[in-house]
Amino acid sequence: MRWGMVINLIKCTRCHACIAACRIEHFLPMGVNWPRLIAWETDVPGEELTTIPVRCNQCKDAPCVEVCPAEATKKREDGIVYVDNDICVGCRYCIIACPYQNRTFFSRDKDPGYFPGYERTRFEKAGRKIYPHTAGTTEKCDFCMDRIDAGLAKGLVPGKDREATPACVNVCQARALTFGDLDDPESEVSKLIKEKNAFQLHPEYGTDPSVYYIDGKIGNAPSNIAPREEQTASHLQHLSTMEERAKQIFGKK
Amino acid sequence: MSQMATRQWMVTHEWMVKPMHQREWIERRGIMIWIAETFTSLGAGLYLVSLFINSWWGLLVGWLIIMFLKLPLHIAYFGKPWRFYRTMPPFSNAWKTSWFARGILFSVFFGTFGFVQLVFGQPDLANLVGNSVANPIYYTFGVLAGLSAVGVGIYGGFIMNYVKGIPFWNQGLLPVVFILAGVADGFGLAMGVGLAGGDASIAWAEAGSRYLLLINILLIVTYLISARYTSAVAKLSIQELLTGPSAFMFWGGLITLGLVIPAAISLATLVSGGEASTVLLIIAIVAHTLGAFALKYCILKVGIYRPLLPKVAAY
Repeated sequence: MRWGMVINLIKCTRCHACIAACRIEHFLPMGVNWPRLIAWETDVPGEELTTIPVRCNQCKDAPCVEVCPAEATKKREDGIVYVDNDICVGCRYCIIACPYQNRTFFSRDKDPGYFPGYERTRFEKAGRKIYPHTAGTTEKCDFCMDRIDAGLAKGLVPGKDREATPACVNVCQARALTFGDLDDPESEVSKLIKEKNAFQLHPEYGTDPSVYYIDGKIGNAPSNIAPREEQTASHLQHLSTMEERAKQIFGKK
Repeated sequence: MSQMATRQWMVTHEWMVKPMHQREWIERRGIMIWIAETFTSLGAGLYLVSLFINSWWGLLVGWLIIMFLKLPLHIAYFGKPWRFYRTMPPFSNAWKTSWFARGILFSVFFGTFGFVQLVFGQPDLANLVGNSVANPIYYTFGVLAGLSAVGVGIYGGFIMNYVKGIPFWNQGLLPVVFILAGVADGFGLAMGVGLAGGDASIAWAEAGSRYLLLINILLIVTYLISARYTSAVAKLSIQELLTGPSAFMFWGGLITLGLVIPAAISLATLVSGGEASTVLLIIAIVAHTLGAFALKYCILKVGIYRPLLPKVAAY
């Protein structure tokens, strides 16, 4: 089993919902972005500026795992690469070694609060208890492995059942993000990769990323217009998934 | 906080379609990495040179530079300095894959072996325990400390050479540049040790420095030429060095101070047949040392990543 993601750039509306969902899911400090949008400035005069969503590629041969001197960056059997913030020494070699620049060093000055100069909101305070980001260590996307593990424990299928699927995939209103098992040839991600000729970023590095992209020019994909019934306020649905977790943590008080 | 300053935290996109500089190891706190890397070269180089010319004072100064300047700076740079022990066995076996972890082990070995060598090389203590006991220990640990010093001097090159995203660093020659530049700087500092009244032979150090400077000039030129043809981003790095924002440091610091001035003084001494004056020697030593800082600055500063997206993969 190897979890992977396919990002369909034709369907992606660049709405930033995935970024917002991640911030909500992990209570990210303001200076930290796990998924990001890369601004694409075309060389053609007058052509529209566009953006490309990127996140940790969860590489099969991840340079960050190899270079970490404290073995704080680890790779699970399901292919997810994560940082153990209780071990990380903050040397930042992983940030340098990542050819995709998808890691962030979380320093105190990147945590000014959502409203700098004011007291932290109740949301932020609650977030610090659920996800206590450790200043002085490195952070990155972990494919919402907590959601995946909790979902699998309940017998759910990541990529199909919302509760077991990464938050960014859940909220994507255009259904541009697809999540699933790359090792399963019958999974939706495997089919998309094969049918749409999906590609990885910089395969020449030999890192074998688990995040694939579909691009109209390369994959000859059909129309990207999502069915109207799928264009729901899915981010609100996602917010409701946090309720049970919050109850577990705060319910005892 | 002003509205503008607040707004900067709201930015969720970056301009990574263009080649981007690495910043973690040269800007803000990253300056510590630059200085620590320079002390690595100076300390390891001086230790190796002192082994070669058998100078106890040189060994001591080299050991002190590594243990009290390089290591504390490296550890202070960590986000969690007090966790540094986690980079070493038995807490971590990362040395099997990580040059960073190997470097830390080399430093620990160097500190230990070097200390024993220094203790048994100290004339008073050697007389106390007897030369028949002190000498074998001194030389055995000298070999071990020397090997560790080579590791300390070269691992920074392997750390950077491993980074596939930065083509200017991703060159096989980089570790060689690091270790040979360190030895050249070591010869420079050995002259300083001799000048300060230590047991280092100034004539030997000057002769060694002469050869190493020549080798380093050829090595740097070779490095730039070979990197030039690896990718467009490496070419961009070289352009920044030669004519861009880092040109002052390259031409003024590395070439003029680090190579030309010491080489000119050395050549003048060779031609005149005598020994260089104290003033000229001091100028050469200072220039050498500043050149060492400039070399590491230039390499770290022009570390530019290939763009992330395939559209500009030609870089």
